[in-house]
Amino acid sequence: MARVAPDLPLRANLSALDNIALIPLYQRHYSAAESNRQAEQLLAQLGHADIAPLRDPDMTPAQRFIAKLARALILGRPRLVIDRPGAMLYDVPYPDFIRQLAAQQEMAGTWEIYDFSWNQALYNQALHPE
Amino acid sequence: MNKLHFKVGLFAAASLLLAGAFVVYLLHARGFFEDTFHLQLAASSADGVAPGVPIVFSGIEIGRVTALGLNDDGGIVIHAEFLGRNAKWLKQDSTFTLDKPLVGGARIRVDSPDLGAPALPDHSTMLLLTSDISKEIPLLVERVKAILANVEHLTRKDGEINATLANVKTVTGRMTGEYGVLEGVLGSPEKARAVTDSLDKTRALIGKLDSLALKVDGMAGKTDQWLFAPDGVAEHTRESLAQVRLMLNDAQSSLKQADALMTNAVAISANLKDGTQDIARLRAEIDDAVRKANALVNEINRKWPFARDPEVKLP
Amino acid sequence: MNFLAASIESLGAKVAGWFSVGYGMFAFLAQAGSLLLERATWNRATFDVVVKQVYFTAVQILHVFLGYALVISWLIISIILSTARDFGLTEFASEMTIRVLVLELLPFLTALFIALRSGSAINTEVALMQVNNELDALAHCKVPPMQFEFLPRLIGGVISVVTLASLAGLLALLMGYLAIYGMNTAGFAPFTQTIAKIFDFKIMAGLLAKCALFGLAVTLIPVTAGLETPKKLFMVPVSVLRGMMRVFFAIVAIEVVSLALKYV
Repeated sequence: MARVAPDLPLRANLSALDNIALIPLYQRHYSAAESNRQAEQLLAQLGHADIAPLRDPDMTPAQRFIAKLARALILGRPRLVIDRPGAMLYDVPYPDFIRQLAAQQEMAGTWEIYDFSWNQALYNQALHPE
Repeated sequence: MNKLHFKVGLFAAASLLLAGAFVVYLLHARGFFEDTFHLQLAASSADGVAPGVPIVFSGIEIGRVTALGLNDDGGIVIHAEFLGRNAKWLKQDSTFTLDKPLVGGARIRVDSPDLGAPALPDHSTMLLLTSDISKEIPLLVERVKAILANVEHLTRKDGEINATLANVKTVTGRMTGEYGVLEGVLGSPEKARAVTDSLDKTRALIGKLDSLALKVDGMAGKTDQWLFAPDGVAEHTRESLAQVRLMLNDAQSSLKQADALMTNAVAISANLKDGTQDIARLRAEIDDAVRKANALVNEINRKWPFARDPEVKLP
Repeated sequence: MNFLAASIESLGAKVAGWFSVGYGMFAFLAQAGSLLLERATWNRATFDVVVKQVYFTAVQILHVFLGYALVISWLIISIILSTARDFGLTEFASEMTIRVLVLELLPFLTALFIALRSGSAINTEVALMQVNNELDALAHCKVPPMQFEFLPRLIGGVISVVTLASLAGLLALLMGYLAIYGMNTAGFAPFTQTIAKIFDFKIMAGLLAKCALFGLAVTLIPVTAGLETPKKLFMVPVSVLRGMMRVFFAIVAIEVVSLALKYV
């Protein structure tokens, strides 16, 4: 299980790309160039290749979420848990945002979202626009 | 990132290069690349010699003592090592002298009077001589004696100075003049100043002798600490010091006598013309005595360099 | 009576605290050391971080550091030389300068320099990582923080202190030569003799070990102090303060022990 959660921040003094490339580099012992390539590819897939050189404090909440999501995805675990997305995506209508991301590509594994029950309405709205 | 790597690489390469160069230099300095030259020194006593004692040639260290040992006859054998490049200073007619300065550690001095002489072969054995400062004291005492005899001769009861002064005294007995008369008597202010000058000199010398005597006093107590020679020598040294002191006292009293007479002479100086001639000669003689005694004081000061006096040059 | 018991109790608490700090430090060091032996540690990624660390600790400040070493060396050499001349001990001056500067003062000052600049930075960063949960995030991603964050810092610190101290020492040797013999090669032979006399194998090994220990002290202690920080932002300055105090004591202790081993 991979988690995207407010209490799992990015490493503050590394760029988004380095944060993501860290994982193939350390877990699978790819070379630095190969790890960077994989990370860039993933960011491009998520439609945010432009955030690669940014560091945590320079990103908008949405960009930060993308970086965290990419870091969780590159782990390649079967389950992806998004914990309290409202705490991370407070400036976008996040159920829509996440749905678009999930639909954008052929995603392996399942995504689960844990959120407060009082936000149920937001999801209903996103799933049934009318 | 690339630039960062380049800088770190440059730094690492430069540091490694410098470190490598230093290690090679160090190995060269320690003689890793050359042969070691061995020498044995036979000595009667290993006093003050220990492994690590430097062997100097013209004041520059060329080797060190590595070990001390006894031979079958109970003599001391000192093993020393030299770097190959320094072995050329060791000749067959070289002398090896153990120097024990009063300040600083012992060292073995090499003197090679003829650098054209055949070189010393490896593992040869030479004799180690001892030059101990305490052994020079008897010589010094002889010189002190000679100089003091001179001073004494000048100031003896029936000597020239005394006779002169007696003469002056009698002629001035009739005098009732004041101090200022001196100038008139001597004919010129220069001559008057000459007399007072020599008086001052005498006084300064007496002061010097005084302090020297004190110094010798203090030293006699410490002899044992700084003279590590066997009993006989130490005893002898102490005697010598006592002798020197006695003689210094002697010189002091003689000069004091001269001083007193001179003061007297000036105070009541005569207005007689013959007196002038005598006083001029007296002045010359006193000057001579002062010069000699001064030289003596300097000599003694030079020989006892451990005095606290800041003017004294360490050997 | 109560007062006595309370003071004894507080003393006991302090001693226990010191012990736990010391134990934590050595346990951390042992862990780092055991990781060094593992093959998996020696990968490209760790190497990159080491390079980065060396850059920030040593290369970035090289010019400042060498300038500072130059000034200090020049001053100390002039003082020793003029004092030696006054007392007629010129023959001991070169040995004295080398012993004082190259063997003692410069490594010590290098360690202080690195401690103030990099040690405090490391302490703050580790404390912030701890407070911000970044270490937990790394652990979640199965990126070992020891290999990724801490070990490279230790290695970088050791390399930096050893290199900077050696560079400063070489500079001081050069300055000493110039100050004693001037701009010519005449004094080369006696200077070589002096150097040969001072730098035997034991001294060189001791110097190297001392510099390595300094490097370890100025990085290991800040890292462990940072890791001890409670997860509260306002505790970060306290953690840095404690860490730097410990670094200072450790540096002084290493210097004192090395002096004692050399001269007592």
